[in-house]
Amino acid sequence: MINPEVIKQLEPFIVTSWHGHRNDSEIPAPVRIVWREKFAPQQQGRGPQRNQQSNVDLAVLNSKGQVVHWFDGMRHGPTREPLAQYTARELQRAARFLKVDDWPPRNRPVELPELDRSRGIRVFVSLQDNRMTAYQAPVVEVVPLAEQDWKLLDYPVKNRTVDASNLKTWLSEVYPPGVMERTDPRTKMAYKIDKIEGKLGLAAAGSNKDQRYAVLSGSVRFTDEGGDDFSYGGKLEVVLSYELDSVKVKTLRGVFEGIYPRVDRKQNRTRRLPLQAVFESL
Amino acid sequence: MRHFLFCLVPLIAASLASAQDEHADSVLAKYNGLRPTERQLAMYRLDWVDSLNDAQQKAAREGRPIVLIIIHAKYGDIRSGHC
Repeated sequence: MINPEVIKQLEPFIVTSWHGHRNDSEIPAPVRIVWREKFAPQQQGRGPQRNQQSNVDLAVLNSKGQVVHWFDGMRHGPTREPLAQYTARELQRAARFLKVDDWPPRNRPVELPELDRSRGIRVFVSLQDNRMTAYQAPVVEVVPLAEQDWKLLDYPVKNRTVDASNLKTWLSEVYPPGVMERTDPRTKMAYKIDKIEGKLGLAAAGSNKDQRYAVLSGSVRFTDEGGDDFSYGGKLEVVLSYELDSVKVKTLRGVFEGIYPRVDRKQNRTRRLPLQAVFESL
Repeated sequence: MRHFLFCLVPLIAASLASAQDEHADSVLAKYNGLRPTERQLAMYRLDWVDSLNDAQQKAAREGRPIVLIIIHAKYGDIRSGHC
C-alpha cells in the first residue's frame, strides 16, 4: 500500500476494508460474491489454487456497489512479477472497465488519522523486516488520553520515576503489523499487550524564553496475553514541552527503538528484528 | 585547592544542564529521523471511508467506484496497518 504505482491506481477510488470469516452471520453481498468464486472448486471458480490463496482479496465495485473485478491479494502461478506491479496491473484492468482514466487526478494531501474531540497521541510503528517490506510500512494509530494520563507527565520540579505500566494506554500500540503468529488459536484474535514493565526517568531538560522541557526515558518490556511469556523490549525516549508557568504537558514527541523476536514458521526459527515507534501529541 | 573546587562546581553544573538539553535535542533528532515521510504515508492520500456501507453511499452520491479490501481474519484494520 505504499508503492507509488499502487497508490496512483487507487487514487480515483473510494477505498474501504472489511474483515471476517466465512462462517460469520453477516457477510456483505460483495464479499459473498468474491468468496463464492474464490472458494469454488477449481474447475468452476476462477480463484487461485487453494494452496496459493492469500487471506486478502481486493474487489472493485462500480458506483452502484456491484463487483466488476476482484483478485487475490497475492499473485499466483509461476510468476516473478513484483507484488506491487501485479496489484497495480489488476487495478488498471478494473479501471479500464470503469473508464476511471476519464476522471481528473485528485492529488489529495496526506490526511493522517486525527482525534475529533480530545487530546491524545499519534503512534507510528514499523518493523524493519527486510524479507517482508510491507511490514516496514508505518502503522498509524491515534489514542485519546484522559486528564490522568497527562497528569503522570506533569513537569518534574524534581526528577522522578514514572512506571511504564501507567502509560499502557498509548504504549500498548507498540506492536508490529501483521502479527498473525501471535493470535489466539481459539478466537483468531491477535493477542493484546497484557503487561508493560519499566521504570522511566522523568527529568527537567532545559528551557528557553518560551517554554521548558523534560525528557522521559528508560527501558520498556512488553508481554502479550499469549501466556507463553513472549515478550520484547527496547528503549523509550520522549521530549515533553511545557509553558514556563505551567506543569501541564504542552507537546510530546518521542521514539521507541527495540527488538521484536519474529517467529519464522517456514524456517522454524526466530529472527530478531528492529521495531520502531514514533509518538507525537495531538 | 579550595579555589580550584569552586571553579569546578559551576563547570560541572553547566555540563550537567547542557547534557540534559543535549539529550532532549538528540531525542528530537531521532523523532525527526524516524517519523515516516510523506512518501511512506502516501496511503493516507487515498479517499478512505470507514465502512463498506458508508463507501457505497458515497459512491452512489459521487458516481465513483470503490476498492474493497477484504481480509479473511477476525482481526485487522488495514487503514491503521495493524492487521
